[in-house]
Amino acid sequence: MSQYNKVTPELIEALKAAVPGRISVNGDINEDFSHDEMPIYGKAMPEVVAECLTTEEVAAVMKLCNENRVPVTPRGAGTGLTGGAVAIHGGVVLSTTKMNKILSYDTENMVVRVQAGVLLNDLAEDAAKQGFLYPPDPGEKFATLGGNVATNAGGMRAVKYGATRDYVRAMTVVLPTGEIVHLGASVSKTSSGYSLLNLMIGSEGTLGIITELTLKLIPAPKEVISLVVLYENLEDCISTVPKLMMANLHPQALEFMEREIVRLSESYLGKSTFPQTFEGTDVNAYLLVTFDGENEDQLTEIIEQASEVVLEAGALDVLVADTPQLKKDAWAARSTFLEAIEANTKLLDECDVVVPVNQIAHYVTYIKEISEGYDFEVKSFGHAGDGNLHIYTCSNDMELAAFEQQVADFMEKAYAKATELGGLISGEHGIGHGKLDYLAQMVGPVNMRLMRGIKEVFDPNLVLNPGKVCYKL
Amino acid sequence: MEILVCLKQVPDDSVELHLKPGTQEVNLEGVTPVVNAFDTYALEMATRLKEAVGGSITAITIGPEGAKDAVKTCLAVGANQGCLITDPSFEGADTLGKSKILAAAIRKLEADAGKPFDLIFCGREATDKASGQVGPQLAEALGVGVVTDLVDIQQTDAGVQAKQETEEGYRLVDAPLPCVVTVNKPPYDPRYPTIKSKLAARKMPIPTLDAAALGGVAPGAAGSHVVKVYEPAKRQAGVKLKEETCEETVAKAIAMMADAKVL
Repeated sequence: MSQYNKVTPELIEALKAAVPGRISVNGDINEDFSHDEMPIYGKAMPEVVAECLTTEEVAAVMKLCNENRVPVTPRGAGTGLTGGAVAIHGGVVLSTTKMNKILSYDTENMVVRVQAGVLLNDLAEDAAKQGFLYPPDPGEKFATLGGNVATNAGGMRAVKYGATRDYVRAMTVVLPTGEIVHLGASVSKTSSGYSLLNLMIGSEGTLGIITELTLKLIPAPKEVISLVVLYENLEDCISTVPKLMMANLHPQALEFMEREIVRLSESYLGKSTFPQTFEGTDVNAYLLVTFDGENEDQLTEIIEQASEVVLEAGALDVLVADTPQLKKDAWAARSTFLEAIEANTKLLDECDVVVPVNQIAHYVTYIKEISEGYDFEVKSFGHAGDGNLHIYTCSNDMELAAFEQQVADFMEKAYAKATELGGLISGEHGIGHGKLDYLAQMVGPVNMRLMRGIKEVFDPNLVLNPGKVCYKL
Repeated sequence: MEILVCLKQVPDDSVELHLKPGTQEVNLEGVTPVVNAFDTYALEMATRLKEAVGGSITAITIGPEGAKDAVKTCLAVGANQGCLITDPSFEGADTLGKSKILAAAIRKLEADAGKPFDLIFCGREATDKASGQVGPQLAEALGVGVVTDLVDIQQTDAGVQAKQETEEGYRLVDAPLPCVVTVNKPPYDPRYPTIKSKLAARKMPIPTLDAAALGGVAPGAAGSHVVKVYEPAKRQAGVKLKEETCEETVAKAIAMMADAKVL
């Protein structure tokens, strides 16, 4: 097992020479660098934070740390939910947030070249100005693109357009040894040996540090419209999903939401968006569906057909968000769920299992049943269109130890059920170190051995993001 | 109650607009036209009033053929019928001219229906030019009273009682009918259309009225003219203060403001 060294004054001087003016040490380090957005997995202050500007600076830091056996934890905007960007073994946190330049568009090949620290929101807005859509749409818009790629983030539009992986054409990576490699190319297909590009996507900063990306864009759809579908109960709501998918209408996004979390989010935003009753009946669940198309007539036909499907399947009514303001309001309520939960919760843990679409109702019912046996509250919502569920355990009054103990029991059951139904441990948040044991249980020793073997090939000294995804020290 | 809502189609106000380089013309390429936000509040308030006391809502707008979309949007969320007022001679009319045209259209619609409107709703201002003049000017042209900046309205025996927002708070104003009211942001949001109401609105015909149909009305001499169109100066980035404690942060902020002679 690898032994790590502490950062020495000599190494600090060398790092300062490599990354001039952007090295913070000990007391100067902002507390934010000690955690991500799920601090329940533990906080850890790094010894050094290096805020790099270029691939060469990243390579220099990596080379120095590898030679000195000092761990390096790459970090984007710190919006992860599994402790992946937390320096649990100390050493250097290498921040990419200052590598935030959109470098160039190749409009004919419909790709954009960016530095890894560009925020998703910034690329989305900039691409829209050029008439393009960058389809991946994770809920956290202020994550870096490098972080999105490192976790293969999914998001709302994955149901039609796929996850981040489907939009990565090429990347520049600094390996744990400090070598710089270029993976992939601006081409549509490849059959050129092992796909190291795809291996890097979703590797959570354990195999290399992504410094530059070439991402695929698509022409922005001309028209977008959202439907808010009202249901009396969650069962009717979720059982509609396979029917809607079978109707071949290709929704861009398909989210289910329960009454309690919608109210929480609306109260957080100070704005009531979704109706609570319909003709005297309480609305207890909602589907938020978005379609895109080339013109209004085409979209009207689609939403008419979609409405027929959901109304036949038991929906109370269908509301149409057809103006920029209504669309913004409807999606603001959905996009704020996590923030609203965080703002109202002292102790928080989560899982983001993904199950086959036709098993969502079964799975959610199971989660509701087992939730009864714990002292924490369970809040869930999810991407109904691709079976990816976000389940949050929340408490404001439990002791930490009791919370952790009960959550561990709950999560074991939740993951076991997901496995039984043919699902996987994480749809888009990743493993980090918070889910490592659950991953091992789910995929078994052979898969874990293969992953560790890959890790050792890339990182013989195990200095890059140690203790994450597939091995513990 | 017979209600009329005046609306204006404006560029989507969530999009940052710029002038075409070297011109005083706003670049609206790719910007979605929407119903002015204050007009959507006016329609929602009118619809709630109609639902409470009964009646009918007519939505009208002055604009090109494409502005029919704005009327259709309103037909899906409360308006019972709508009408587009369009004529090449109306283009470029200022608020005074538009008020005159709206007044002529209102008289025409009243004559055709054989009954007057009791209440005429306008947004307090449009989000594009924000003059806030059409409501009061329309009241003047019609010779009726006007109550501005409403956030609520109730029917009373003598007419309506309007809750007007002022800089100090609220004022309750009783007004006889007919009258014009202009609407500020009420404590609720405009409703979503349902699929049924949206599809029904799509199929509804939107009649048009041109200058000839309005007895040859013309905007007349402008009461105002635009001197210059320019982009506001970009605001400088703020300063973020983060001292050890709240007290220290506040003390530093006060010291900085004192130095800048704003305190």
